[in-house]
Amino acid sequence: MRRVMRSLHRSVGIVVFLFVILLSVTGILLNHTTELKLDKRFVSSPWLLSHYGLDTVQADAVFLLEKRVISQFGDQLFVDATPVTNLYRPLLGGIVLDEIYVLATDDALILLNPDGEFIERMSGESGVPPMIQNIGLFHGDPVLQTREGMWRSDFLLEEWESISLQGVGWSVQEPMPESVEKQLATYFHGFGVSIEQVILDIHNGRIISKFGVWVLDLIAVLMIVLSISGFWLWFRRR
Amino acid sequence: MQRTVKFPIWLLAISLLMTAFSVSARGVYQTNEEFLADVFKQTVPKSKVIWLKGEVKQKVADIMGEPYKGLRIRYWSQDSRSAWILEDIGKERPITFGIVVSDNKIENIKVLAFRESRGYEIRYPAFAQQFIGAHLDQLELDRNIDGISGATLSVWAMTDVTRLALYLDFFSRQ
Repeated sequence: MRRVMRSLHRSVGIVVFLFVILLSVTGILLNHTTELKLDKRFVSSPWLLSHYGLDTVQADAVFLLEKRVISQFGDQLFVDATPVTNLYRPLLGGIVLDEIYVLATDDALILLNPDGEFIERMSGESGVPPMIQNIGLFHGDPVLQTREGMWRSDFLLEEWESISLQGVGWSVQEPMPESVEKQLATYFHGFGVSIEQVILDIHNGRIISKFGVWVLDLIAVLMIVLSISGFWLWFRRR
Repeated sequence: MQRTVKFPIWLLAISLLMTAFSVSARGVYQTNEEFLADVFKQTVPKSKVIWLKGEVKQKVADIMGEPYKGLRIRYWSQDSRSAWILEDIGKERPITFGIVVSDNKIENIKVLAFRESRGYEIRYPAFAQQFIGAHLDQLELDRNIDGISGATLSVWAMTDVTRLALYLDFFSRQ
């Protein structure tokens, strides 16, 4: 029995050896997060940010107009990584007209100045045709494709004439540029994940999802076995 | 034992009714086009715009308590009447108001679209009635507006856009 217990104690000791050190070190660090400012320092490792799902954002629509990235997230319109105004309907497209960004939803045109500041929302009461499907440019003039046909206007966007044209440069969606995506990820997710959170997740096993928690549970059981077998061996020697 | 079963059912029923009512209170009550057609009896004048810059921008920010969301405001004017479609945040979401100013006084004010979950009581004509005839005195309304319990922020938004419409009407006639 004593031989079996010693063998068990040795085997379990080898298995939990690294984990005891890991749990002790992370435990000590967690006891001093405030002094070490671990809750105010953030991890910037791409792998870890990706692991926590904090490195990407999923826009509903993205359009590139000159050097600006125009995107929609839910009911918010963004120019690059700055929220500009509320959007009540899906963003369908955008053009640049005399340095003004003209964006289209199905029921309105949203105007932004060259700095990306919101100017005005123009809809039916301002003369904009209803049921817009897309916006484009034809020889510098704004053109709308609606369910009721095609319309052309001038830079004032107040009067629209029904027209049929070929060769309109319609607005098309683009992928989100990586640099802006990173800024948007910071906007939505903050600075990412604190060192305290990472250490805590290593300590409790959640760093490798549910599997890690089960592994830590197993290690905890093995540590109980180790302490009992150790106590038994010490007791018997007496 | 029976009572413990009944209570949650009643509670659930009441909650569902309240939720249904608050959801139904949201929405567009009148489109901007319908509002203007009502105001100008189908012959809506061509719209004009006021660009918010310099002193007018500052005055508008003073009235609203923060910069207005937009660099220009569109309006419709005929003789001594003008119509304004203005937005202000109640608690979290914008409320769209339609306001008619006539001879420097409020002729009518309506909630055109309400997107908040609370505070919809401001759309009732009995409440809006308080604003009829109001005019500006040093950028403030000439009267006190009675609040509505549970709709304080919506009432504040309605009061602010009323002051804004009166100021912009005054500015547009300078």
